[in-house]
Amino acid sequence: MTGTLKGLLPIAIGIAILFVFQAVGGPSMFGAYQEDALLVIGINIVLGLSLNIVNGFTGQFSIGHAGFMALGAYAGGAITYYGAIKLWGSYPPELPPGTGDLLFVVALVCAGLVAAGAGYLVGLPSLRLRGDYLAIVTLGFAEIIRIIITQTEPVLSKQEVSQHSTLSLFKYLGGKSIFDRIPRVTNFFWVYSVVLIVIVVCYRLKQSTHGRAMLSVRENEIAAEAMGVHTTRFKVRAFVMAAFFAGVAGGLYAMKLGNLDANRFDFQRSFESIVMVVLGGMGSISGVCLAAVLVTYAPYLLRDVGLDQYRMVIYSLSLVVLMVVRPQGLFGMHEAWTVFAGEAGRRRWQSFIGTPKRWYLGVRAYARKVVGT
Amino acid sequence: MSALLEVAPMSLSFGGLKAVCDFSLELAKGELVGLIGPNGAGKTTIFNLLTGVYTPDVGSVTLAGKLLNHPERGLRPFEIAAAGMARTFQNIRLFADLSVLDNVRIATHLRARSTFWGALLKTTAARKEESRQRSHAMELLDIFGLAGRADEVARFLPYGDQRRLEIARALATDPKVLLLDEPAAGMNPQEKIALKGLIQLVRERFGLTVLLIEHDMGLVMDICERIVVIDHGVVIARGKPSEIQVDAKVIEAYLGAAPDAAGEAGAGEAGAGEAATDSGAKA
Ligand SMILES: Nc1ncnc2c1ncn2[C@@H]1O[C@H](COP(=O)(O)OP(=O)(O)OP(=O)(O)O)[C@@H](O)[C@H]1O
Ligand SMILES: [Mg+2]
Repeated sequence: MTGTLKGLLPIAIGIAILFVFQAVGGPSMFGAYQEDALLVIGINIVLGLSLNIVNGFTGQFSIGHAGFMALGAYAGGAITYYGAIKLWGSYPPELPPGTGDLLFVVALVCAGLVAAGAGYLVGLPSLRLRGDYLAIVTLGFAEIIRIIITQTEPVLSKQEVSQHSTLSLFKYLGGKSIFDRIPRVTNFFWVYSVVLIVIVVCYRLKQSTHGRAMLSVRENEIAAEAMGVHTTRFKVRAFVMAAFFAGVAGGLYAMKLGNLDANRFDFQRSFESIVMVVLGGMGSISGVCLAAVLVTYAPYLLRDVGLDQYRMVIYSLSLVVLMVVRPQGLFGMHEAWTVFAGEAGRRRWQSFIGTPKRWYLGVRAYARKVVGT
Repeated sequence: MSALLEVAPMSLSFGGLKAVCDFSLELAKGELVGLIGPNGAGKTTIFNLLTGVYTPDVGSVTLAGKLLNHPERGLRPFEIAAAGMARTFQNIRLFADLSVLDNVRIATHLRARSTFWGALLKTTAARKEESRQRSHAMELLDIFGLAGRADEVARFLPYGDQRRLEIARALATDPKVLLLDEPAAGMNPQEKIALKGLIQLVRERFGLTVLLIEHDMGLVMDICERIVVIDHGVVIARGKPSEIQVDAKVIEAYLGAAPDAAGEAGAGEAGAGEAATDSGAKA
């Protein structure tokens, strides 16, 4: 029991710090534009890390992550919007103080659970498939989710809601038009609390016997089975976990934007998460985080320097260059700190920054050239 | 005395090819038995049947009274591993990008006593499990002289070390029966002699029963108490090494097969005491 408490401590402390930071108005010191970028980065970190559990840890190739995100987004949005009207008879922004956040947390958890349930239903049969087949199934799943959402009815207003039963409300998700008026509760505190939890969960998983069992599936499925690893179980677990966090990310996303458009959950969005995993290095938690920051922040930077119209060109070019230079991803399968740790790490570090002797020789050669002797 | 491992006449066809035909075997606890035969005889296929990779067309595999494989009720490979059968692979199948330590630790997972949630919450049980796995793995690596390389990536180990790591990993599942598929393939004569000692050491230390596939006749004749010879999926001889060496059918099978295999049989026949030739290298 004390062990469990000790295990929860880092998360509790982190959330407490974030809470204080938010309470004293810390995030607003970045300015609205940068704060917005930070929220998107955080949500993308959650998406990247969750996909990393499937693609990076177990080595399965899922390319339908947007489907789980969409499920979470719509579930979360619907629960806060309709929940507030059903419970308090008012639009969410007009809620009494505190209740909005409570509803938000419930909505986030439900968003995760809905996506996780779908992950289980899709994963159980399809994880017996290999490679390309799994990719096709997950892609198809994401498309089906998107199309189903576009087939729903327009969102109901406060007056209309009372004429419908709670369950039937899930037919009214905005369809082809937009699901708007979702309360914008997502802020720095919520996003980074989730980021913190996801990082801790992923890291502990990777360091544990269960995480290693997942890695063994990626490394050699036949050997993993022969060594007693229930490969299907771990694949399904990874899939469900990934779906859960993608759902939560979807919930955060819905309540950050305040409106949802089914067409924003297309293949492009799944692809973004894949880029983060591949770029960061399959299974590398720090690598995926860094890649998520880079991939998300690059468009903001380009907009700042006025190169916005070349965004896609620069984006694809740098991807190509990075994949040529570092096909194994930024950190390969390692974590940032292990890349430069130990004996091998020292050598890598030295070839990167050089040694004092090399600095000296370099400076001397330069000085000679300048002086001309 | 009742056998630890019992194989009731078992057959398997791949399409028209009868890879294994009426293969039966009884292993008593603690025995070290050799399984030999020319290339393509069906030896690896028998291992795959024993470990549940394939389901037999007829026949069954029973370990310590537990039915493992059967045309209708076959267990999955990971269940068979849990029941106490571990193997190595002829074409090395390590977890290549993981560390040497991780390779062995993964094989201890099937006896893990901590839950998935425990790992995420980092409970006391999970911490204990981690240190238990680490010390168990290090103990095994120590036996195989790999403890100093625990943090190296398996892919970069020398070939001989990779073969020995495979055995260490198989032992980490805590097996009753150990199946070794050409463990000496690609090793040099010194390594082969060391391997011979290692097999005997772990066998005694862990009370193992061993079934050994090996093309190096010197090694097989030296350490096996009994030998089963198969050719074209059919058992053609069983007996003590001395009987096998002079068995007319065995000599014919090897001479009739690939020329280099004939050389091996010849070496065995000549009463090979020393580790012979580089015959294993062709795998
Ligand atoms: N999955 C498979 N599908 C079809 N044929 C197979 C399969 N596996 C093995 N075979 C065939 O079955 C026969 C026996 O193969 P096996 O690998 O068991 O031979 P082996 O005795 O281990 O040979 P070696 O000494 O070369 O390792 C061979 O003819 C092989 O081509
Ligand atoms: Mg073979």
